[in-house]
Amino acid sequence: MAAIPGARTKRRKRSEALTAYAFLAPYLFIFTVFMLFSLIYTVYLSFTRYNLLRPPEFWGLEGWERVLTDELFMTKALPNTFKYVLIVVPVQTVLSLVLAFAMDQKLRGRRLFRTIFYLPSITSSVVISLIFVWLFSPIGVINQLFNLNVNWLGDQRTAFYTIMLVNIFTTSGTLMLIFLAGLQDIPVTLYEAAEIDGANKLQSFLYVTIPLLRPVLFFVVTVGVIGGFQVFDQIFIMTEGGPVDSTTTIAYIIYKWAFRDTTIKMGQAAVAAVILMVIIFVITMLQRRVIEGSGTAV
Amino acid sequence: MKKILTALSLLLLAGLVLSACQPAAQPTPETIVQTVEVPVTQEVIVTEVVTQEVEVPAERVEIRLSGWAANPQETALLESLLYKFNVANPDIVVKYEPITGDYWQAINTMVATGEEPDVYYMDIFQFPAFAQNQVLLPLDDYMAESGVSREEFIPALIDAFTFEGATYGIPKDFNTLGLFYNRDLFAAAGLDEPTDDWTWDELRAAAEATTDSANNIYGFGVPADPGRFPVFVFQNGGRIMSEDFSDTLLDSAEAVAAAEFYTNFRKDSVGAIPGDLGEGWQGTLFGKGQLAMVYEGGWLIPYLKEQFPDINYGVVNPPAGPAGEGNLIFTVAYVISPNSKNPEAAWRLIEFLTNEESQTAVLTSGFALPSRISLQEHEYLANNPASAAIFRGALTGAHPFMWGIVGSDVNDQMGKALERVYVEDQPVAEALAEAAEAIRNAIQQSQ
Repeated sequence: MAAIPGARTKRRKRSEALTAYAFLAPYLFIFTVFMLFSLIYTVYLSFTRYNLLRPPEFWGLEGWERVLTDELFMTKALPNTFKYVLIVVPVQTVLSLVLAFAMDQKLRGRRLFRTIFYLPSITSSVVISLIFVWLFSPIGVINQLFNLNVNWLGDQRTAFYTIMLVNIFTTSGTLMLIFLAGLQDIPVTLYEAAEIDGANKLQSFLYVTIPLLRPVLFFVVTVGVIGGFQVFDQIFIMTEGGPVDSTTTIAYIIYKWAFRDTTIKMGQAAVAAVILMVIIFVITMLQRRVIEGSGTAV
Repeated sequence: MKKILTALSLLLLAGLVLSACQPAAQPTPETIVQTVEVPVTQEVIVTEVVTQEVEVPAERVEIRLSGWAANPQETALLESLLYKFNVANPDIVVKYEPITGDYWQAINTMVATGEEPDVYYMDIFQFPAFAQNQVLLPLDDYMAESGVSREEFIPALIDAFTFEGATYGIPKDFNTLGLFYNRDLFAAAGLDEPTDDWTWDELRAAAEATTDSANNIYGFGVPADPGRFPVFVFQNGGRIMSEDFSDTLLDSAEAVAAAEFYTNFRKDSVGAIPGDLGEGWQGTLFGKGQLAMVYEGGWLIPYLKEQFPDINYGVVNPPAGPAGEGNLIFTVAYVISPNSKNPEAAWRLIEFLTNEESQTAVLTSGFALPSRISLQEHEYLANNPASAAIFRGALTGAHPFMWGIVGSDVNDQMGKALERVYVEDQPVAEALAEAAEAIRNAIQQSQ
């Protein structure tokens, strides 16, 4: 008697799996064609010399060697990209956490503020970039407001920081929303318990809120790091990698080599893309260890 | 209702009678009568639509034509030419597919997959890479067959689209740089207006006289722009690249001296780069009266007419340097893909678009200058001295804006070298030597 229900569950399980795959099929198809295939093809291209006008020819490690000895890539794009992530990610994470915390309080008009803070995130990055180009122009609002005479985007000492500011401005809103969802998931009872134990506001933030926000924090930092490493559109619109390469990042150099140069270097662009992918992959794994490894299990 | 029906049937009847009147000329199996709308451009705007009836043979070949869409008026001009072509060549259907966004990205990827249009625009700057990779069709045989000679075009233009002795493109139009000067600022400074005989000394003296830095007015625009600076190198007897493009001459004594002269305008506060005055382009600053003189191309003329109609300005050829005259030519040609299934039809389209009549339409539209040398006597140029000065630029010591296959590297390095001089106060010779080294490295890697 026991065998029959067993077979039945087996059959049901199989049909459930089939249904699941049927639902997954459209996505899997798109994933295979546009992600998996492209990924493998990019790795293949990184070992070729390819200028689009002629078919790719196998080139071995020549392209890798050229990229790893390329001055623009090694002394500008690579350090610039790391610098960008190291500055932007902590600032936007802290800023969005603070904003989320403020929005979580029973403030007057918090709905309005929430909308205002979120607005940059749903605005096209091209539009925001252009607005910032005008704000930070030598005769723009920023200079006039603070009585300065700085050519923000034309000076290599300030251009990259201006771009960082734009990105912090646009992403903080989204991250704030994610933090806010995380904050509201924390049961009020825990805060009440902390209060009874004599914890003040700061203590309950540090010992209740932060630990319970860890999975959200991991998500926010990961998204921030990945986005940071891939920064492109603001640079493309605002500085095109200049002045004097001070805003050239890995993503921008990929575009430059693949599409902008008259000697198209698709192979080297693929090398840079693979390097970028490996960097992001390794750092995300490390992060997972650091954030999830410490403290309680999530 | 009845009235409308009567009118309609009358119309139908008229149409039938009209079509019956058409002589059955072509020995094609069957002919279809099709109504083609031909917009007639007068000056700038399409003002009139003429309805014509044309016989269309049943068997037609399709030709794809692509270019960038610079502005609606220019597109209208091209479309009106295409309609005329359609009427004259009913056996060819031209599918005009303008590319918006990044044109070269689109064309390059289309060439990679063999899907490029039969006929497309080729900028002189990009031409070397396409010619060297043999993805263009040589046109000499077609030209000989239809009696089109290279001599009919401005030499500097047709030579530019020649690679290893073969002609790959027929120039559609061109631009050069002219010295645009603000008449009011010149009068205020008590200066005589520039002439085509001016030299560097007079340019420098005029820049000094017209500068009024207290009011944010500077004499001359000296952007870190690889599309302006080389003019001075040519005028000083130098070149950007060697004859065969195997080396750069950017660190030669002539180029360094030219760069000294160019960057000193700003160093001595009688010239400015657009960023100094809060703009991205010096054309805007010229329009606003903040720069008394700029080197710009014919594109500035319609821009000023539209944005700054009150500005009182003139245009002459760039003042000659120690070694004589020099200028840059920006030009675009029609090329044919070797993958085209109907190269004869593609050639007929190019031949039509660059014939004397079409080129006259280009000239009188005011957007660009025609590539046919015969049109230099056209009355439009006599009536538009500004355009005439730009046209003359092609005949006086001008070199195409093209630096071989590493063109973008040369442009990048030239621009960066000037930026380093402006922003970091790097010595000119050092900046150009650094640029030359980077260019040589790029040339070596491109082989």
